Amino acid sequence: MDEDEAQKQRLKAAVHYTVSRLCQDIAADCEKQITKQTIAAIAETAFRQCDIFAKDLEAFARHAKRHTVTVDDVKLTARRTTALYNYIQQKSEELALNNQELKEKRKKNAAKRKSKDMEAEEENELEG
Amino acid sequence: MANAGNEVVFKKETVAKLLTRSFKEDKTKVSSDAVILVAEMLKVFVEEATRRAVKQADSEDCDTVDIEHFEKILPQLLLDF
Repeated sequence: MDEDEAQKQRLKAAVHYTVSRLCQDIAADCEKQITKQTIAAIAETAFRQCDIFAKDLEAFARHAKRHTVTVDDVKLTARRTTALYNYIQQKSEELALNNQELKEKRKKNAAKRKSKDMEAEEENELEG
Repeated sequence: MANAGNEVVFKKETVAKLLTRSFKEDKTKVSSDAVILVAEMLKVFVEEATRRAVKQADSEDCDTVDIEHFEKILPQLLLDF
């Protein structure tokens, strides 16, 4: 139980770090100062919001009779806010496109390796 | 964007751990694309919170964003996500 608490604290610290960088960037952009307490409060809110996201995602995945949370579940979580939904939709399409390109590259590389192996084999045969 | 290289985002490992921690069943897993999207959603959440708090401070003619400004925008923020 103690270890669980320790992990929670570490995660909170990680969230706090990213949140504080995001906050400082925006505050500098708007020429405002932002107090440490405000940043801590935003970090805590984000931490709890993530808990809500996780519970929703798990419920959606289970409703689809899956044990793995997929991109579709995340889209469902964002469905109520139109602008956010569109943004997430666009991001997921970018991700899908990237994955496809990676796959094709891997295929090409595999094909190249194969032909190289063949060449090497032929050379070996000639030498022999 | 010009600064796309050093854009601030949540780490994938952090988000994955946050999510698996909150799942009720141990069996539940997360696909890596889903983790990236959740990280993106959290970033939007934090940015929105900060921008609204800054706007609230601005409307009260304050140069420093204090916790009371964040408190005022919090209820609507939570309703919007």
